[in-house]
Amino acid sequence: MDEQYQQAIRYWTLAQPVVSAYVAAVVRDFRDRDDVLQSISVAVLESFASYDTTRPFVAWAMGIARNQIGTYLRERKRNRLVFDAETIDTLSIAFEQVESEQNRKLDLLQECLSKLEGRARHLCELRYQNDLKPSSIASLLGMTPNTVAKSLQRVRDQLRQCIDRRAALDGGQS
Amino acid sequence: MMTNPRELIDGYFDDRLTVEQHEALSEWIKANPENARIFANATLLHDRLRNTFAIVDEVHSNVTLPREGRENASNVTLALPREDKGFLFWRTTAAAAVLIAGLATLWFSVGTSTASAAIRELDRIIVNSMRSKDRTYEIVVEDIATDRRGKGPESQRPPKPPLDGATLHVRSGNQFVLLRKTQQGLPFITGSNGKQSWSINTRGPVRVSSDIHRFDHDLPGHETSVPLTNLHEGLQQLKYAYDLTFSTLGPEEYRPQDGHEARLLIAVKKPKERGPQRVEIVYDSITGGVMRVRFVQMPYGPDRLDLRLSLLSEEELPANFFEHTSHHAPDRKVETED
Repeated sequence: MDEQYQQAIRYWTLAQPVVSAYVAAVVRDFRDRDDVLQSISVAVLESFASYDTTRPFVAWAMGIARNQIGTYLRERKRNRLVFDAETIDTLSIAFEQVESEQNRKLDLLQECLSKLEGRARHLCELRYQNDLKPSSIASLLGMTPNTVAKSLQRVRDQLRQCIDRRAALDGGQS
Repeated sequence: MMTNPRELIDGYFDDRLTVEQHEALSEWIKANPENARIFANATLLHDRLRNTFAIVDEVHSNVTLPREGRENASNVTLALPREDKGFLFWRTTAAAAVLIAGLATLWFSVGTSTASAAIRELDRIIVNSMRSKDRTYEIVVEDIATDRRGKGPESQRPPKPPLDGATLHVRSGNQFVLLRKTQQGLPFITGSNGKQSWSINTRGPVRVSSDIHRFDHDLPGHETSVPLTNLHEGLQQLKYAYDLTFSTLGPEEYRPQDGHEARLLIAVKKPKERGPQRVEIVYDSITGGVMRVRFVQMPYGPDRLDLRLSLLSEEELPANFFEHTSHHAPDRKVETED
């Protein structure tokens, strides 16, 4: 395999989680996020030859992501529930500065999810596997949308705390 | 009425914000870089949750219908009102891999969501393999088939050292030590510290070269970019030269421990590509760590080997373990080649 291609895929493999989250921050719909991320992947790898290796790769890929998101949003300019350009730029900087350690910590998510049981687990599956919104989950489970939303918020908080706890434990052991 | 930022963030993820709340969140993000950082970190978790559950969905559904077919099928079989299945995410990584081979058009014409999910899983395995951890594998040769035509250049060369029972130690940065025995039962060690390669036979001098691939001809896979001693490079090759599918393993093969499930990723060589016909990777579903790799019909000189690498340990080896000096007597003659 060409060395440049190998390098491109190596860099992209590592950068993708952060770029994916950046897209998800602006493009809420999972399906649209997938389409935008796909076009970013294509653009990143097509233009990899122009990447200056003295610059951080994530920042370079994020520039491409900004352009692709801009194209996506221009097609939906009437939607008032999208962030303005200034917010998107602010987020871009924030994602560029996400520390690799922060991203790596999320590898512990699977372990924390494996400890999730009962309704909490079921809610996660309905929200993230079946991609149901709180109103649909509520009608399935006989709850109010507000209760579902609050429960999802609690589950995410629990997972975040579990990840932090595990990371601190791993850090203490190494 | 949501007012605090954490509620606004969660409301945003779950599509519950009014226009006014959305504007309030936007203003909050812009007000302070720290706020933007908090939002970014929350999104990382939200996005990872989606990716994790989408993979679980793919593994267990094991369906390869195109997107439209899946939607129709789910309308029939599922009572759940699925608003958006989001299967397209996995095409993203597929697109990346295929571009690398310059075959994007072909891929999209044949790609399936399951294949794309498999590529996504392969990405996780690759990322894990890139981490600086020492790993030790046992090599077992299950079967050897020899090319009886005997016309290739490899058939003119001396027999390769056997691999069955060999032990392979690997560290990131192209470092490895492969310990095996010749057909006469004598130790034969090859390795690399990432800057030099070396070969230690019982007789003759220790050979050292600044070309880290100098002694690769005695290693299977080097001709086809799936080198046994550099799993990371081999995994990259799988991304474009192989068709990928995956599934779970039964408890009779691997007993889940503490929620760690073993998954099996199967790579089948595409027509006209080079390399083993099939590669089976058993990996930890949580960490992405490789537990076993099986190569079927791997070219090795005139032979085609079925062999497997099984992880023995992930214990840290001494810092100088990948130097040739750690594997021979200090008075051995060392011959340096270019």
